[in-house]
Amino acid sequence: MPVGEYDFRTGVSAFFEMATPDALAVLPAYLQPIEVRHQRSVLSVTAFLFEESEVGPYTELMFAVIVPPMVAKWGQHAKAGFYPFLAATSSERARRQRAERYHFRYLEQDIDAQFIETEDRIRVRAWSVGKPVVDFSVTQGAWESTSHLLQGFTAAGDQRFRTTVQISGEYTVHENERGTMTLFPHPMIAPLLGREVSAYPFREHWFKNGTEVFYGLEAF
Amino acid sequence: MSEHGNGSSGDVETSIASKRITDAAAHPHSVTSQAPPTAPGAMEYDYTNFYFGAGKDAFALLAPFDDWWREVKPAGYYLYELPLHSAPSTRVDVEDTKTHEVRSGLINFASYNYLGLSYRPEVKEAIKAAVDQYGGGSSGSPILSGTTELHRRLAEEIADFKKKEAALVFPTGYSANVGTIAGLMRSGDLVVADQYAHASIIDGMILSKATSRFFRHNRVEDLDRKLSGHEGKKLVIIEGVYSMDGDVPPLADIVAVCRKHGARLMIDEAHSAFVYGANGRGVAEDQGMEDEVDIHLGTFSKSLGGQGGYIAGSHQLVNYLRGFSRSRFFSCALSPAVVAGLRKALELARNEPELRTRLWDNVATMQKLLADGGVPTGDSTSQVIPIMVRDDARIFQMGEEIFREGVFINPVKYPAVGKHKSRFRMSISAAHTKEELEEGATAIVRVLRRYGVCQ
Repeated sequence: MPVGEYDFRTGVSAFFEMATPDALAVLPAYLQPIEVRHQRSVLSVTAFLFEESEVGPYTELMFAVIVPPMVAKWGQHAKAGFYPFLAATSSERARRQRAERYHFRYLEQDIDAQFIETEDRIRVRAWSVGKPVVDFSVTQGAWESTSHLLQGFTAAGDQRFRTTVQISGEYTVHENERGTMTLFPHPMIAPLLGREVSAYPFREHWFKNGTEVFYGLEAF
Repeated sequence: MSEHGNGSSGDVETSIASKRITDAAAHPHSVTSQAPPTAPGAMEYDYTNFYFGAGKDAFALLAPFDDWWREVKPAGYYLYELPLHSAPSTRVDVEDTKTHEVRSGLINFASYNYLGLSYRPEVKEAIKAAVDQYGGGSSGSPILSGTTELHRRLAEEIADFKKKEAALVFPTGYSANVGTIAGLMRSGDLVVADQYAHASIIDGMILSKATSRFFRHNRVEDLDRKLSGHEGKKLVIIEGVYSMDGDVPPLADIVAVCRKHGARLMIDEAHSAFVYGANGRGVAEDQGMEDEVDIHLGTFSKSLGGQGGYIAGSHQLVNYLRGFSRSRFFSCALSPAVVAGLRKALELARNEPELRTRLWDNVATMQKLLADGGVPTGDSTSQVIPIMVRDDARIFQMGEEIFREGVFINPVKYPAVGKHKSRFRMSISAAHTKEELEEGATAIVRVLRRYGVCQ
């Protein structure tokens, strides 16, 4: 059953190639990265502008490695899995709820973010404690209604968990390589600095006016 | 190593502080709290969603994939692997596996038969004669008993045609790439390929255990970046004509970067050998860079209309790969009948330059027909013309309608190409008549207009 619903106005997610050894370095031993091509794994950078939730409106920034989902019967089979290794929110209340409920690891300080939308592009600038963290953008393709079923993997001590996440809304995705990303030397993203991460996304996702639903954690 | 540049600025800002909480009516796609997590429509999934899956049973993905496939096959995936009931000529008889009818006389834009050689009477006669002399198969690996006099002569003739010291014949184009790359490169070496490189190139890179990198398509500055910082052996791999986009590489610039870094250069001319260049030797000939390329690779399944692959280069290169190319070493040699057909097809390709003239004339005709119809064709300059639909959700519907309108052409969508880059891949042949080109283009434009792809 759902344990959390978060209505968003905007969701931006970009997939970047990263060297597989770097992806393995941030994953727990029981998870393997999906390789988009040989020796190239997938770094997902996601920002959501949540407008309505149990913990009020807030912004979330998340860095994750894309991993294989646990196989389920057709109809409940997730399209992909993700392991968030760095996350931050604009409110302590949101951060506390999501950390307690899903065991995601959050930056202790608030982040602030801007979603800057132009005709066919949305740019996200995020910073914390007065220092920039990341500046990335995606562009639009054709818009359609969609619903994505994903699995999130987390851990608490020795326990491993997965949660199912459904994201529904208006959506555009393409691989036209028109987006950008700049990572800044901020402590939040220290594991990514100096690593072989591409500067442009190979896949660009953009959601509007939708809902992110979390289902309960399952230990495995 | 980071590749990050600077982001742009100066856009209109929407501050987080200015957000408004909107009412439920603004969220038409909201999921109710009571709904169980269910996957969206089957067509929103693709092959990649069944490639990886965590769990303990090696067969765990079989059942979900099977259930998914049962849903999506009649919805469009059946358009792949349709059985032909005729030769891959300019008109073909194709079995519609959805209705179980055989559709006759479809205009064929799907086959690789660029010079129309596979069904030429001279080729068929050569094949029949070889069957009479040698039987069906070669019954052995090339290094043991599988090499016939025909195989030896084909290798010599290919070397002569390519103006190289020697050539080596492989059972398929796939095995030529895999065997050459893995035969040469080792763990600790660096292989850099264009991001649109064929799967056989990528598989060769994986098998070699070398460090693999990919540079942005045809971007020489990115190739330069990807070659930097590696002191050991380096091999760069490009294609003559990229099979999904129909464009060609900037060879002179690529050669310059390879020389700067001391990298060897290999070109896969699967789709360009026998059709590009004044003598048909490929894009390297066409761009005047034949001597600057270290390894010339090609296939026999496209323009020569047969089967197999080859590399051409120095005696030393061929001699080394004869010993270390495992995909050839441990495969059965090509059937002598196939080899006999290839020798005749090569002879025709060399002696009938008018075939290439006719092909390029047909390509120009089709490009004009499509341009007049407002059909987007990307950056193609070759006989491979991508009809850029960019509608992943509806390309199969369009494909079904084009099929019913009397045209055989393959839809291509993710993961064969990127998301939102779906297209029909059109192959033009020297054998197409002007009437066939016009009839086929008219049917395609008619369907695409119904979907708003062109006006």
